[in-house]
Amino acid sequence: MPKFPIEPIAKLTGHGGIVHAIAYSSGSQQYMLTGSSDRTIRLYNPSKAPISSQTSAAGLINTYSAHGYEVLSIDVNAANEKFVSTGGDKSVFYWDVQTAQTIRRWTGHNARVNKGVFAGQDDSVVVSGSYDGTVKIWDTKSGSYKPIMTLDEAKDSITDVCVYDSEIITGSVDGRVRSYDLRTGQCQVDVIGHPVTSLAITKQGTELLVSSLDSTVRLMDRTNGQLLKAYRDEGFHNKELRVRSTLGLNDSVVVSGSDDGLVYVWDMLDGHVLHKFKHSELRQVSGSATQAMKNNKDFVGAVTFCRVRKEWASAGGDGNVVVWGMAQQ
Amino acid sequence: MAYKRPRAVSPAGSQKRTRGIDVASKTIKLGTELPSLDDGDDGAFVPVWKQTVTDERGRRRLHGAFTGGFSAGYFNTVGSKEGWTPKAFVSSRSNRNKDQPKPAGQRPEDFMDEEDLAQAAESRQLSTTQGFSSIGDSGKQSGPQDQFSALFNVGEETIGVKIIQKMGWRQRQGIGRKIRREARLGDGHDPKDSSERHLFAPADVKTVTITSENSRKGLGFESEARLSTKTAEDEDEDERPGLALPFLDSTKRALGPKKPSVKKSSFGVGVLNDTGSDDEDPYELGPKISLKRTIGKDKKAKKPSKFSKPGGERHVFVSKKEAPRTTTSLSFRPPNDGKPPLRGFVFAIQVVIPSKPHYPPPKIPADWKSSKKVGNETDATAFQSVADAAKASTLDSKARADLLGETPLPGKSVFDFISKENRDRIAALTGKTNLPQGLGESAPAGSENEGRKDLWSFVPVLDKSTAAGALAKGATGWMPYAEDPSKRTRYINFLELKSGLKQDLPEKAPGASVSDWVKEMQEFAHAAQVFKPTSGIMASRFTSSSTSTTATGDTTGTNLLHKPTPKAEDPAESAAKLGMYGAMTRTVIPFLPSRLLCKRFNVKPPPDVPFSAEFTAENTSKTQQAVSKAALDSMMRELSTQGSALQRPDWMTQPKPEAAAAVKEHATVDVESNEALTQERAPEDVFKSIFGDDDDDDE
Repeated sequence: MPKFPIEPIAKLTGHGGIVHAIAYSSGSQQYMLTGSSDRTIRLYNPSKAPISSQTSAAGLINTYSAHGYEVLSIDVNAANEKFVSTGGDKSVFYWDVQTAQTIRRWTGHNARVNKGVFAGQDDSVVVSGSYDGTVKIWDTKSGSYKPIMTLDEAKDSITDVCVYDSEIITGSVDGRVRSYDLRTGQCQVDVIGHPVTSLAITKQGTELLVSSLDSTVRLMDRTNGQLLKAYRDEGFHNKELRVRSTLGLNDSVVVSGSDDGLVYVWDMLDGHVLHKFKHSELRQVSGSATQAMKNNKDFVGAVTFCRVRKEWASAGGDGNVVVWGMAQQ
Repeated sequence: MAYKRPRAVSPAGSQKRTRGIDVASKTIKLGTELPSLDDGDDGAFVPVWKQTVTDERGRRRLHGAFTGGFSAGYFNTVGSKEGWTPKAFVSSRSNRNKDQPKPAGQRPEDFMDEEDLAQAAESRQLSTTQGFSSIGDSGKQSGPQDQFSALFNVGEETIGVKIIQKMGWRQRQGIGRKIRREARLGDGHDPKDSSERHLFAPADVKTVTITSENSRKGLGFESEARLSTKTAEDEDEDERPGLALPFLDSTKRALGPKKPSVKKSSFGVGVLNDTGSDDEDPYELGPKISLKRTIGKDKKAKKPSKFSKPGGERHVFVSKKEAPRTTTSLSFRPPNDGKPPLRGFVFAIQVVIPSKPHYPPPKIPADWKSSKKVGNETDATAFQSVADAAKASTLDSKARADLLGETPLPGKSVFDFISKENRDRIAALTGKTNLPQGLGESAPAGSENEGRKDLWSFVPVLDKSTAAGALAKGATGWMPYAEDPSKRTRYINFLELKSGLKQDLPEKAPGASVSDWVKEMQEFAHAAQVFKPTSGIMASRFTSSSTSTTATGDTTGTNLLHKPTPKAEDPAESAAKLGMYGAMTRTVIPFLPSRLLCKRFNVKPPPDVPFSAEFTAENTSKTQQAVSKAALDSMMRELSTQGSALQRPDWMTQPKPEAAAAVKEHATVDVESNEALTQERAPEDVFKSIFGDDDDDDE
């Protein structure tokens, strides 16, 4: 079992609202994009923003402001030159990183767009899932303003979309995970039973991590729909907020934010809680005694794991992003 | 402007052209003809090249070549020497609407044809929505002899008049059934010589108007003015009250033949309305009633303005002197529509009802006695109602019959048939001791069967198969009357009877009369027709209710709230709730990705399979891939676990039973010997038998 990064190494400040989305840049994953309810997207270099720095918005490289509503998701393409962001303004924004301008804005959703991800060969399409219950697939190559396809099987809001190879996996508030396989033309519908808030797929693509609003994170076997492991804790509380979960350290740990400001880390195989972190206080907490949180802003909405380093980041209601890493030798 | 005004009248000195030569040829004319008023063309001389053709609105109609020759444009081209001047292209992107004509230049009227214009003019006609009546018409002007009342009376008919006109009534006819009588043809006609009788409407009867008596004149009093009988002239006047004024008539006639009315009737003189004549008041509307000012002596009675808004705020005029007194108290009241009243007006606080003088009834003198004698005064309480009298009487029907001398009826009482014990029980229960004795007779023969037969005739006819079908349907699925179990049992009984399973008469609902019972059976028959299984449409529209309405009167109020029945939970959902993830929670539905999407994902699109019931997952995977994924996986697994086939030990290579069977099918090939070559040659006689003849011939 490799050591889990538990030291806060950077704190990205400057957002004026809840941070809903964090995304590492592709490639060496040196930069981070954060999207907030203050309607801006910020590009940070976390290495320039140590915990000790007193300057405000340390490590800030660029600010992308075109959204008129909160930003709910960000995804960076593999070439690191474009990214896509979605939010409350019912449209999907396709950005150029260098010029900080939107290349395209796809409108067509009838409600806020919860998630937008790149997909396809050379990131040629963008898949977006919206509160209106539809998933729309947009073409980045052609100039079309209409979606290539709309998947409207879901009965309720689409909260998360993830893409693996030629499969589009969507999670919905109707408690179902739908896997659209383009090769076979089939859609596998797996009932989770509770509103699904977050999806994460393993590197092999055979397992899927599903967060749902019953304070449980589940690892599902994608081949037959069976439950491999359920991750719970008596202190882990996720019943009302969209909280992201992720897999890390080569798919050996499960990390999830929570409604009460804690970040939980489980061992993927045995399902035990490895660590608990208090996001707002930048520290690890131990023991099950967690003080009741009255602060509404104290929740961790987004966690993301760096794929190349032992590093991960959490963001939440206080508007700050904390990057956690290994202690400096 | 897109069109021009018509030319003004030519100066008086200009030469007049006489028009209408055909008329002139027949008649001799003296003097100069007056220009006609209704024609825009006044006949003034206009040189040919100045004459234009205009439509009735004064727009020029013919342009260019149509106006006649060279004088139009430049050699019949457009107005410039160059003709259409080629214009340099100007992008309209930045400066749109720049070279367009001003918006004021185009009006809707410019795009309207005659019909539209006439319609527009009609819609602009100013008229009152209702007939109006003058103020105080119940007062001084109430007399029908008033010449002016007709002018201000309601011109419109009331809805009642309209209705009875629709029903066939005509003006000046009486109301009622038509009368067959001889025709009254007038004075000179003798009614006796024609015996023909026709149907005529009854004669009109003058409506008796009951006016409130305000004076102290006696009943039936009629003043002298009413004494004179109506002359024929009067009647004639009545017939056309509006035209009863000779001077009005004359003025009307003096107006001459009506001009063709100008279709536009808005206020003011538009450019197009100006016909050039001055004697026409463009502001005039309606009949000329100005004579009223000079003749009528009742100037005090203010006529309501024709133009006052109908249904507008009611204002009461208050002179300036009085105003401060009243407004102080009234200023608190908010106006109805939020608008302050007009200057010099205040809102009326109370509706002014013309108060009638109240006359007390005449006092009867104290010592007055009516000369009419009422018969002997009896005490009212001495009277007894029939019911009371009947109650008081101790006679029963038989005693009464005896008293009246009737022969007793052959019918028997109920008590004749009930036994003595039963009669005693009834007597004990009711507390009546004067019940007739129970005789305990047996029923007359055949009476029961007859009654039954009568009842059988009430049972409605129903096809046997229909009844059986409805019954079968009820056994398996939905059946009516779920809310009333007893009725349902009766229904089932009825069906059983009709389908031949039972023989007895359908039972009655407790407390139901025979007619109810018959009605119910008819209803059952109808229901069986409706719900028989052949009409699958009906069956599919109903589902058996999952809750039965409780017949017990629950008045506690807890049951008032309707609780929706919980939906049957999806088995997948319930399985997920139990944590039984897997096959239970997984469903596969087909979906058809678009070709472009597959291209973008660089995958081969699945074969276009229509969304049909035959769609199965196996079909597609087989048709699509030469080697199925499962087979590929097993091969890979084999490879990884057992290594390459070349390096395997012998026991591994031994074929499994199925594999062996498969191998056996192949022909074994022996490299050393060729069976075809090494086979023995056929005996010589075989060849001979085949080819022998030929050999013989050759030899």
